[in-house]
Amino acid sequence: MTKPNPQRFIPLKAQWFQIMLSLAGGEQHGYGIMQEVLERTHGKVRLWPATLYGSIKRLIEADLIEESDERPAPELDDARRRYYRLTALGRRVLDAECERLQELVRTIRVKQRMVTQ
Amino acid sequence: MSLASRVYRRLAQAFPHEFKVACGTELIQAGEDALADVAKRQGTAGLIRLIADIAIRVPVEYVAEMRGDLRYGWRALRKSPGFALVGIISMGLGIGLTTNVYSSKWATLFRDLPGAANAKRLVMLQESTEGDLARASYYYVERYREQKRLFNGVAAFETGVPFNVTLSGEASGKPERVFGQLVSADYFAVLGVKAQQGRVFSPDVDKSGDAAVAVISDRFWRNRLHASPEALGQTLRLNGQLATIVGITPKGFQGALAVNPSELFVPITAPAELAPELANDVLHRRDAKQFLPLLCLAPGVTMESAEAALDGITRELDEQDSYSLRRTEKGRRITLLFAGTSIPIPQKVKPALIGFFVALMGLIITLACVNLANILIARGANRRKELAIRLSVGASRFRIVRQLISEGVLLSLLGGLTGLALAYVLARLNAHFSAPTIVPVEFYAGLDWHAGVFAFALAIVCGVGFSLAPALQATKADLTPALREGSALQLPGYQRLGLRNLLIVIQVAASLMLLLITGFLVLGIAKSSSIQTKFDPRTMYLLSLDPIRDGYTPEKAQVLFEKLPEIFKSVGGVSSVAFADQPPFSTEFEPTPMAAEDSSQSSKVLQSVVEETVGARYFATLDEALLAGREFDESDQRAQTSAAKALPAIVNESAAHKLFGAGSALGKRVRDDKQSYEVVGVVRDMKDVEGLSQSIMYLPLTRRDFARPPAGGIAILVRSDARTDVLRSIENEVSAVDPRLNIFYAQTLGEYLDRSRSALEFSVQTYGAIGLFGLVLAAIGLAGVTAYGVAQRRKEIAIRTALGATKQQVLRLVLREGAALVMSGTLFGFLGAIALAKIVSALANMFVDALSIGMTDPRLLAGAPLLLAAVALLACYVPARNAAKIDPLRALRQE
Repeated sequence: MTKPNPQRFIPLKAQWFQIMLSLAGGEQHGYGIMQEVLERTHGKVRLWPATLYGSIKRLIEADLIEESDERPAPELDDARRRYYRLTALGRRVLDAECERLQELVRTIRVKQRMVTQ
Repeated sequence: MSLASRVYRRLAQAFPHEFKVACGTELIQAGEDALADVAKRQGTAGLIRLIADIAIRVPVEYVAEMRGDLRYGWRALRKSPGFALVGIISMGLGIGLTTNVYSSKWATLFRDLPGAANAKRLVMLQESTEGDLARASYYYVERYREQKRLFNGVAAFETGVPFNVTLSGEASGKPERVFGQLVSADYFAVLGVKAQQGRVFSPDVDKSGDAAVAVISDRFWRNRLHASPEALGQTLRLNGQLATIVGITPKGFQGALAVNPSELFVPITAPAELAPELANDVLHRRDAKQFLPLLCLAPGVTMESAEAALDGITRELDEQDSYSLRRTEKGRRITLLFAGTSIPIPQKVKPALIGFFVALMGLIITLACVNLANILIARGANRRKELAIRLSVGASRFRIVRQLISEGVLLSLLGGLTGLALAYVLARLNAHFSAPTIVPVEFYAGLDWHAGVFAFALAIVCGVGFSLAPALQATKADLTPALREGSALQLPGYQRLGLRNLLIVIQVAASLMLLLITGFLVLGIAKSSSIQTKFDPRTMYLLSLDPIRDGYTPEKAQVLFEKLPEIFKSVGGVSSVAFADQPPFSTEFEPTPMAAEDSSQSSKVLQSVVEETVGARYFATLDEALLAGREFDESDQRAQTSAAKALPAIVNESAAHKLFGAGSALGKRVRDDKQSYEVVGVVRDMKDVEGLSQSIMYLPLTRRDFARPPAGGIAILVRSDARTDVLRSIENEVSAVDPRLNIFYAQTLGEYLDRSRSALEFSVQTYGAIGLFGLVLAAIGLAGVTAYGVAQRRKEIAIRTALGATKQQVLRLVLREGAALVMSGTLFGFLGAIALAKIVSALANMFVDALSIGMTDPRLLAGAPLLLAAVALLACYVPARNAAKIDPLRALRQE
């Protein structure tokens, strides 16, 4: 079986990128992702629940994330929630997207320097 | 807050099943957790965003699900291409034919005139007694125009007016014959038509005595002037006279009565040299009843009140009018017709037409859909095992029903695409096979987005509607036997009134109805359209001349026509020459009211008789001996006409009978609105190219006709004994007399009849194809259902065979069920077709002739049901034979 090419998903949709970025640190449940994104962006980006779960469903179908069977420590665990994590493919896609964005930032810096000089 | 929470929960419940299984509770949980936070940070606006977000996602998720269903359906269809092909073809034929009927008939009859803002309020007059559009003199139009309370405007026009047009404006150029309208200056204002370039006519600008102007249609501009940007201000030569183009009408506009498309509009204030129709000061003569009034109702005025008022005014005007025939009818003299479409349709006929087309479209599409439902049922039986597996591993019944419906819709949509392609081909063919007419006739036959939307909607509705029942039935399975190895299935038992049987009866009945109705029309049209000439039609040559529009004066034209027969006879082989105002056997649609002039009661009764104008020796040229009296000679042709003196006339048998009853018609007198006539001869009835045999009175061709030739010019009939083509020599002779003379419509009578016939044959074949299509569909459906029945009774048949039943007995067993269905379907279809035909011919004049001839034909009445029954039984026989081949050992082992 051929490995799916991560470039197929690049550039990532904004919500997908935010969700996968939140999962880069480890397993997280849906509401946790929502909160994490909100904090990380200082309240600028809010993933609304229906959009969030719609995206999660498609990310699972695209095999970029999966449901995790590992539960956090019992005192932190919320039994009602499902936890998600990145798949191997998801991790590669996220890396590729970050690479692309860094490249973009580098280009912008060069341009800015050219303008200011 | 609690309201927001409630709404959120309700919406979360509305997501598709799969979504709820995957993350339904999570979604509700996350939403409720977020609710407080959102309310705190963003207030009501945030809550609204939250609700809006979920409200938008619901349909998005459904579409995503459906895409999955369709993808699965597509794979399923590709796995059974035979089934897919039958489904697509049957839906394609159904949707294609329905779309064709819709776009060619429906749109013609009910679409507003393009470009006319007032289309909804336009009316024209109709003679109550004749059913034809009423013509009036310009004096009447002016009186109507005074009724400002009733009408926003009243225009007068004449349509189907030929112009010999030279585009360059140079006198030497070879003119083209273009049909247009003569219109009053307020014509465009009454229609509500604005120019796309330049101006239209208006009473303030266009006055009598002005330099000649013309407005051209968009089609004229594109086709003849190649959309030249310099078209405005360009001069044309119309009938030899110069006229300036002042405006171009909007795209699609082809004049009122667009069924005869007009390319050119000339004001009635134009000089008579430009349009011979306007000669003799017709605008001021009360007996010149040649204009069609076009009225725009004032807002709030109903057709009924306008009709009552107009009827009164018209009666009053007729009373003052010494030229009018005295009429004794008690009802309305004129009625109003809605004129905002390309053909004005009488109010009385409209419901019948709508009913007929809805019934026809409904019948075709029902057939296709019932067929789809039938094969879906049969397929559901085959797939029972697959469905049972899916049900048993946890798919909801709703989920599977949705899947099956998606497959039905997919089939139907693919069928819809095929159908659209078919409708396009039919529209092209339709345009190609148009009947030859002097004034062009154009029914709207193109496909537009209306037709596309129509076909698409039809496909969706039929796909969902007719796959629902089979899907419900297929998922109503008892899982255990369905899953058992060998797939010998526990199918729902035989029900006398089951859905499946009902569908078959409907299908047989509907296809028989279709077959019979189309058969009535086919036979009716075919029977009534064979013209018998007493000579080889290839030895008669037809050509037309219109010297007035080539710049001749009436006197010069008369001299020319007196000279021509001698000139033609100098060509080798020509034996006989005659003139007429139209080619022989042409169809005439406008009868003239006439009354016999004698002392008896019959003089008070108006009869509709078609008038045809023919020259000297016309009947001799056609090899028609007169039954009594004489035919016209050169002295009739030369005679001065006046209203006071009776003209000679020849009547055919049916006109003689209609006007004078039994007894000799010779010497009797008759009059129409203009003139009184004395019958000098009687001929036999001759059918025209459409197969109609009307009551005809032949009038002599006179100086009047040479001065103002009809739309087709003067037709010249030349009989030749020579086996060679003399047309070229005749044309050379005409050019030798005057190179300015234009010859048009040059052909042999044979060619003319063939062209008329091919148009008829095309429509006959279309009808025939529709009937045949019904038959094929019914056969496919029956075969599918019988196969299903055989599968259902496999075990029973195996046991019977094991117990010693012969193949014949098995065959009979299976066929009996099919035969019962075919019989009852045939009976219903037969009764339905007769009833429908009676209703249609009672309501709509146009089908009466064809239907009444067709309905009495025993070949059809007995043949169609027999043919259908034979095909249906054959369709049952094939699966039944397979049933007889069932190996009892194998069949029973599988249980």
